[in-house]
Amino acid sequence: MPAHVLDLTARPHLPEVFRLLEHCDASLRQSGLAADLCDDVRLVLEELMVNMVEHGHAPPAEPGTIALQVQRLADAVLIDLHDDGRPFDPLQAQPPALTGDLADAEQVGGLGIHLVRSLVSDLEYRRGPQGNHLRIRFDATDRTEPRP
Amino acid sequence: MTLSLRTEQPAAGRIMLALDGRLDASTFGEFDAAVQALLSGVADGGTVVVDLAALEYISSAGLRSFARLRKSMRARNGHTLLVNLQPQVRKVLDIVKAVPLNEVFASVQELDAYLDRIQQQVLRADAEGDAAD
Repeated sequence: MPAHVLDLTARPHLPEVFRLLEHCDASLRQSGLAADLCDDVRLVLEELMVNMVEHGHAPPAEPGTIALQVQRLADAVLIDLHDDGRPFDPLQAQPPALTGDLADAEQVGGLGIHLVRSLVSDLEYRRGPQGNHLRIRFDATDRTEPRP
Repeated sequence: MTLSLRTEQPAAGRIMLALDGRLDASTFGEFDAAVQALLSGVADGGTVVVDLAALEYISSAGLRSFARLRKSMRARNGHTLLVNLQPQVRKVLDIVKAVPLNEVFASVQELDAYLDRIQQQVLRADAEGDAAD
Protein backbone atom coordinates (compact mmCIF):
# COMPACT_ATOMS: atom_id res chain seq x y z
CA MET A 1 0.00 0.00 0.00
CA PRO A 2 1.70 3.24 -1.09
CA ALA A 3 2.15 5.72 1.73
CA HIS A 4 1.61 8.72 -0.49
CA VAL A 5 -0.28 9.17 -3.75
CA LEU A 6 -0.71 12.36 -5.74
CA ASP A 7 -3.15 12.72 -8.65
CA LEU A 8 -2.88 15.90 -10.72
CA THR A 9 -4.00 17.09 -14.15
CA ALA A 10 -3.13 20.11 -16.26
CA ARG A 11 -4.03 21.54 -19.64
CA PRO A 12 -1.03 21.61 -21.98
CA HIS A 13 -0.04 25.21 -21.16
CA LEU A 14 3.27 26.13 -19.52
CA PRO A 15 1.83 28.06 -16.54
CA GLU A 16 -0.40 25.10 -15.67
CA VAL A 17 2.44 22.64 -16.06
CA PHE A 18 4.56 24.74 -13.68
CA ARG A 19 1.74 24.95 -11.14
CA LEU A 20 1.59 21.18 -11.24
CA LEU A 21 5.38 20.90 -10.87
CA GLU A 22 5.32 23.17 -7.81
CA HIS A 23 2.57 21.12 -6.22
CA CYS A 24 4.34 17.81 -6.87
CA ASP A 25 7.72 19.14 -5.68
CA ALA A 26 6.31 20.61 -2.46
CA SER A 27 4.45 17.40 -1.71
CA LEU A 28 7.52 15.16 -2.23
CA ARG A 29 9.72 17.44 -0.11
CA GLN A 30 7.12 17.43 2.63
CA SER A 31 7.07 13.63 2.55
CA GLY A 32 10.76 13.62 3.55
CA LEU A 33 12.15 12.46 0.20
CA ALA A 34 15.88 13.27 -0.18
CA ALA A 35 16.44 16.72 -1.68
CA ASP A 36 18.58 15.46 -4.58
CA LEU A 37 15.91 12.96 -5.57
CA CYS A 38 13.24 15.70 -5.40
CA ASP A 39 15.40 17.72 -7.82
CA ASP A 40 15.73 14.76 -10.20
CA VAL A 41 11.96 14.16 -10.19
CA ARG A 42 11.29 17.84 -10.82
CA LEU A 43 13.76 18.00 -13.70
CA VAL A 44 12.47 14.85 -15.39
CA LEU A 45 8.85 16.00 -15.09
CA GLU A 46 9.68 19.50 -16.32
CA GLU A 47 11.49 18.18 -19.40
CA LEU A 48 8.76 15.70 -20.27
CA MET A 49 5.81 18.03 -19.70
CA VAL A 50 7.38 21.05 -21.41
CA ASN A 51 8.05 18.75 -24.35
CA MET A 52 4.37 17.73 -24.35
CA VAL A 53 3.30 21.40 -24.36
CA GLU A 54 5.75 22.57 -27.02
CA HIS A 55 5.69 19.58 -29.36
CA GLY A 56 2.93 17.16 -28.42
CA HIS A 57 0.21 19.80 -28.32
CA ALA A 58 1.62 22.55 -30.56
CA PRO A 59 0.23 25.07 -31.34
CA PRO A 60 -0.01 25.72 -27.59
CA ALA A 61 -3.67 26.68 -27.70
CA GLU A 62 -4.59 23.15 -28.75
CA PRO A 63 -6.82 21.52 -26.12
CA GLY A 64 -5.74 18.42 -24.29
CA THR A 65 -4.87 16.96 -20.92
CA ILE A 66 -1.72 15.99 -19.09
CA ALA A 67 -2.31 13.65 -16.17
CA LEU A 68 0.26 12.91 -13.50
CA GLN A 69 0.15 10.31 -10.77
CA VAL A 70 2.98 10.12 -8.25
CA GLN A 71 3.34 7.31 -5.74
CA ARG A 72 5.84 7.55 -2.94
CA LEU A 73 6.87 3.97 -2.08
CA ALA A 74 9.26 2.94 0.69
CA ASP A 75 12.17 2.41 -1.72
CA ALA A 76 11.14 4.35 -4.83
CA VAL A 77 9.06 7.05 -6.45
CA LEU A 78 6.76 5.69 -9.13
CA ILE A 79 5.27 8.09 -11.66
CA ASP A 80 2.61 7.62 -14.32
CA LEU A 81 2.46 10.43 -16.83
CA HIS A 82 -0.18 10.51 -19.56
CA ASP A 83 -0.92 12.97 -22.30
CA ASP A 84 -3.29 12.91 -25.26
CA GLY A 85 -1.01 14.75 -27.69
CA ARG A 86 1.00 13.49 -30.66
CA PRO A 87 2.84 10.19 -30.26
CA PHE A 88 6.25 10.66 -28.70
CA ASP A 89 8.46 7.91 -27.32
CA PRO A 90 11.37 9.45 -25.37
CA LEU A 91 13.19 6.11 -25.55
CA GLN A 92 13.42 6.40 -29.34
CA ALA A 93 14.69 10.01 -29.45
CA GLN A 94 18.13 10.56 -30.98
CA PRO A 95 20.80 11.34 -28.36
CA PRO A 96 22.27 14.84 -28.68
CA ALA A 97 25.73 15.40 -30.17
CA LEU A 98 27.71 16.36 -27.06
CA THR A 99 31.08 17.95 -27.86
CA GLY A 100 31.92 19.07 -24.33
CA ASP A 101 30.68 22.58 -25.05
CA LEU A 102 27.03 23.37 -25.76
CA ALA A 103 28.04 26.70 -27.31
CA ASP A 104 29.80 24.88 -30.18
CA ALA A 105 26.65 24.05 -32.14
CA GLU A 106 24.10 26.46 -33.58
CA GLN A 107 21.48 24.72 -31.46
CA VAL A 108 21.68 21.47 -29.52
CA GLY A 109 18.41 19.53 -29.59
CA GLY A 110 17.43 16.61 -27.39
CA LEU A 111 19.13 17.86 -24.21
CA GLY A 112 16.02 17.53 -22.08
CA ILE A 113 15.28 13.97 -23.12
CA HIS A 114 18.95 13.05 -22.62
CA LEU A 115 18.70 14.37 -19.05
CA VAL A 116 15.51 12.38 -18.52
CA ARG A 117 17.13 9.14 -19.66
CA SER A 118 20.21 9.81 -17.54
CA LEU A 119 18.31 10.50 -14.32
CA VAL A 120 15.52 7.90 -14.18
CA SER A 121 16.06 4.41 -12.78
CA ASP A 122 13.53 3.00 -15.23
CA LEU A 123 11.31 4.37 -18.00
CA GLU A 124 8.60 2.59 -19.99
CA TYR A 125 6.60 4.01 -22.87
CA ARG A 126 3.31 2.83 -24.27
CA ARG A 127 1.07 4.42 -26.90
CA GLY A 128 -2.58 3.56 -26.30
CA PRO A 129 -5.94 4.81 -27.56
CA GLN A 130 -5.83 7.57 -24.90
CA GLY A 131 -2.39 8.82 -25.98
CA ASN A 132 1.12 8.55 -24.57
CA HIS A 133 1.71 6.69 -21.31
CA LEU A 134 4.98 6.90 -19.46
CA ARG A 135 5.84 4.93 -16.34
CA ILE A 136 8.88 6.29 -14.58
CA ARG A 137 10.68 4.87 -11.57
CA PHE A 138 13.25 6.54 -9.35
CA ASP A 139 14.96 4.19 -6.89
CA ALA A 140 15.31 5.81 -3.49
CA THR A 141 17.28 3.09 -1.74
CA ASP A 142 20.77 4.55 -2.25
CA ARG A 143 19.73 8.06 -1.30
CA THR A 144 20.21 9.66 2.05
CA GLU A 145 17.45 11.58 3.75
CA PRO A 146 18.04 15.35 3.77
CA ARG A 147 17.70 15.73 7.53
CA PRO A 148 17.06 13.47 10.54
CA MET B 1 10.67 30.66 -5.78
CA THR B 2 11.42 31.70 -9.34
CA LEU B 3 14.50 33.62 -10.47
CA SER B 4 16.15 36.86 -9.49
CA LEU B 5 19.23 38.46 -11.02
CA ARG B 6 21.82 40.89 -9.73
CA THR B 7 24.65 42.46 -11.69
CA GLU B 8 27.86 44.09 -10.53
CA GLN B 9 30.95 45.44 -12.22
CA PRO B 10 33.79 44.51 -9.84
CA ALA B 11 36.54 45.59 -12.28
CA ALA B 12 36.87 47.21 -15.68
CA GLY B 13 36.10 44.70 -18.43
CA ARG B 14 34.43 42.34 -16.00
CA ILE B 15 30.74 41.92 -15.21
CA MET B 16 29.36 39.71 -12.46
CA LEU B 17 25.89 38.23 -12.93
CA ALA B 18 24.45 36.54 -9.83
CA LEU B 19 21.47 34.19 -10.16
CA ASP B 20 19.10 33.25 -7.37
CA GLY B 21 16.36 30.63 -7.66
CA ARG B 22 15.59 28.41 -10.63
CA LEU B 23 16.61 28.74 -14.27
CA ASP B 24 14.03 26.70 -16.16
CA ALA B 25 11.46 26.82 -18.97
CA SER B 26 9.41 29.41 -17.05
CA THR B 27 12.29 31.79 -16.17
CA PHE B 28 14.87 31.55 -18.98
CA GLY B 29 13.21 34.40 -20.94
CA GLU B 30 13.86 36.77 -18.04
CA PHE B 31 17.49 35.64 -17.91
CA ASP B 32 17.96 36.03 -21.68
CA ALA B 33 16.50 39.56 -21.58
CA ALA B 34 18.82 40.55 -18.71
CA VAL B 35 21.80 39.11 -20.60
CA GLN B 36 20.89 41.03 -23.75
CA ALA B 37 20.78 44.29 -21.77
CA LEU B 38 24.06 43.43 -20.05
CA LEU B 39 25.99 42.51 -23.18
CA SER B 40 25.54 45.95 -24.69
CA GLY B 41 27.78 47.22 -21.85
CA VAL B 42 30.49 44.57 -22.21
CA ALA B 43 33.61 45.68 -24.06
CA ASP B 44 35.30 43.49 -26.66
CA GLY B 45 37.44 40.90 -24.91
CA GLY B 46 35.56 41.34 -21.62
CA THR B 47 34.61 38.70 -19.09
CA VAL B 48 31.19 37.77 -17.69
CA VAL B 49 31.32 35.90 -14.40
CA VAL B 50 28.11 34.01 -13.63
CA ASP B 51 27.79 33.47 -9.88
CA LEU B 52 25.61 30.41 -9.23
CA ALA B 53 25.88 30.31 -5.42
CA ALA B 54 22.13 30.82 -5.04
CA LEU B 55 20.97 29.03 -8.19
CA GLU B 56 19.44 25.87 -6.83
CA TYR B 57 18.08 24.33 -10.03
CA ILE B 58 18.64 24.35 -13.77
CA SER B 59 16.87 22.49 -16.59
CA SER B 60 17.65 22.14 -20.30
CA ALA B 61 16.03 25.54 -20.97
CA GLY B 62 18.62 27.11 -18.65
CA LEU B 63 21.47 25.18 -20.28
CA ARG B 64 20.43 26.59 -23.66
CA SER B 65 20.44 30.12 -22.17
CA PHE B 66 23.98 29.58 -20.86
CA ALA B 67 25.02 28.37 -24.32
CA ARG B 68 23.54 31.52 -25.93
CA LEU B 69 25.36 33.76 -23.43
CA ARG B 70 28.66 31.96 -24.00
CA LYS B 71 28.21 32.13 -27.77
CA SER B 72 27.56 35.90 -27.62
CA MET B 73 30.63 36.44 -25.44
CA ARG B 74 32.77 34.31 -27.72
CA ALA B 75 31.66 36.46 -30.68
CA ARG B 76 33.09 39.46 -28.72
CA ASN B 77 36.38 37.65 -28.09
CA GLY B 78 35.30 37.50 -24.47
CA HIS B 79 34.93 34.83 -21.80
CA THR B 80 32.11 33.44 -19.70
CA LEU B 81 33.15 31.91 -16.39
CA LEU B 82 30.87 30.01 -14.01
CA VAL B 83 31.49 30.02 -10.26
CA ASN B 84 29.93 28.46 -7.12
CA LEU B 85 27.91 25.68 -8.78
CA GLN B 86 25.43 24.00 -6.44
CA PRO B 87 25.02 20.19 -6.54
CA GLN B 88 22.00 20.00 -8.86
CA VAL B 89 23.46 22.53 -11.29
CA ARG B 90 26.84 20.78 -11.34
CA LYS B 91 25.19 17.41 -11.93
CA VAL B 92 23.09 18.67 -14.86
CA LEU B 93 26.05 20.48 -16.48
CA ASP B 94 28.15 17.30 -16.08
CA ILE B 95 25.56 15.02 -17.70
CA VAL B 96 25.46 17.04 -20.92
CA LYS B 97 29.12 18.19 -20.75
CA ALA B 98 27.74 21.72 -21.07
CA VAL B 99 30.91 23.79 -20.65
CA PRO B 100 34.69 23.21 -20.78
CA LEU B 101 36.02 22.47 -17.29
CA ASN B 102 38.50 25.35 -17.42
CA GLU B 103 35.58 27.80 -17.42
CA VAL B 104 34.10 26.45 -14.17
CA PHE B 105 35.37 27.51 -10.73
CA ALA B 106 34.50 26.02 -7.36
CA SER B 107 34.87 29.31 -5.49
CA VAL B 108 35.41 33.05 -5.94
CA GLN B 109 38.97 32.62 -4.54
CA GLU B 110 39.79 30.09 -7.26
CA LEU B 111 38.25 32.39 -9.86
CA ASP B 112 40.18 35.44 -8.59
CA ALA B 113 43.46 33.50 -8.69
CA TYR B 114 42.73 32.57 -12.31
CA LEU B 115 41.82 36.14 -13.31
CA ASP B 116 44.98 37.42 -11.56
CA ARG B 117 47.09 34.97 -13.58
CA ILE B 118 45.43 36.15 -16.81
CA GLN B 119 46.02 39.77 -15.78
CA GLN B 120 49.72 39.03 -15.09
CA GLN B 121 50.07 37.39 -18.49
CA VAL B 122 48.52 40.41 -20.19
CA LEU B 123 50.84 42.79 -18.29
CA ARG B 124 53.89 40.64 -19.12
CA ALA B 125 52.93 40.51 -22.78
CA ASP B 126 52.49 44.33 -22.77
CA ALA B 127 55.90 44.79 -21.08
CA GLU B 128 57.57 42.50 -23.61
CA GLY B 129 55.82 44.36 -26.41
CA ASP B 130 57.12 47.69 -25.01
CA ALA B 131 60.66 46.25 -24.62
CA ALA B 132 60.60 45.16 -28.28
CA ASP B 133 59.65 48.68 -29.45
